[in-house]
Amino acid sequence: MKYTLAIHGAPYASQSAQHGLALAQALLAQEHTIERVFFFHEGVYQALSTRVVPQGEEDLLSKWQELGQHGVELAVCIAGGIKRGVISEEERQRYEKQSSSLAEHFTLVGLGQLISAINETDRYIEFPA
Amino acid sequence: MKKMLFVISNTPYANTHNAELLEAAMVGAVFDGIVSILFRDDGVYSLLPDQHGELIGQKTISKMLSALPTYEVERLFACADSITKRALTITSSPEVVALSLAEQTRLIAEQDVVIGAQL
Repeated sequence: MKYTLAIHGAPYASQSAQHGLALAQALLAQEHTIERVFFFHEGVYQALSTRVVPQGEEDLLSKWQELGQHGVELAVCIAGGIKRGVISEEERQRYEKQSSSLAEHFTLVGLGQLISAINETDRYIEFPA
Repeated sequence: MKKMLFVISNTPYANTHNAELLEAAMVGAVFDGIVSILFRDDGVYSLLPDQHGELIGQKTISKMLSALPTYEVERLFACADSITKRALTITSSPEVVALSLAEQTRLIAEQDVVIGAQL
């Protein structure tokens, strides 16, 4: 089956990412397809490249990026992302900011990409904050 | 096209979730989705008249709601229990249909996807 996942919670504020990642890994292990993971609301902070993982804690960012390397699209809501400071190099230039902050393997996309992923997949599963 | 239900359950100005979900609902309609919106729990405060988001530097939710018909989002529902518990009188435009819990269960069961879940 084809799945769309949505992550709504920020790191350390909820277990949205842990639960989403666990499901994503289980789905791929059973040869399902994940079309897109959509990061919405405070979930956009999952894509911050500037996060430093405290010793002994799970590196969620690397785990998302591993999924990205396996062909899962990591899509960050552009409107929600840029207003919270999650900006790509392109947006950095457009808004003349000092540095970009979007981690590798993530892309900033419009809300239309959430809707089209929902339309094209069998299941939409959301991980609230 | 898929039937999508957006559930708005937060107070309108505690965070930007309601505004962001309404934007997603509008985009859903632009992409020809069959979009419904259900206001429940503290989300029903979004339906009160005379909101002035500008006073706290936020988008006015009631203004966003009045733009929904332009996007052909006309299936608007509210949880009757949530309104009664908060002793609210809803006279909002566009029109919102109040539903019992059983009717909400049916509305949710009819959908392909529900967006805006709560723990």
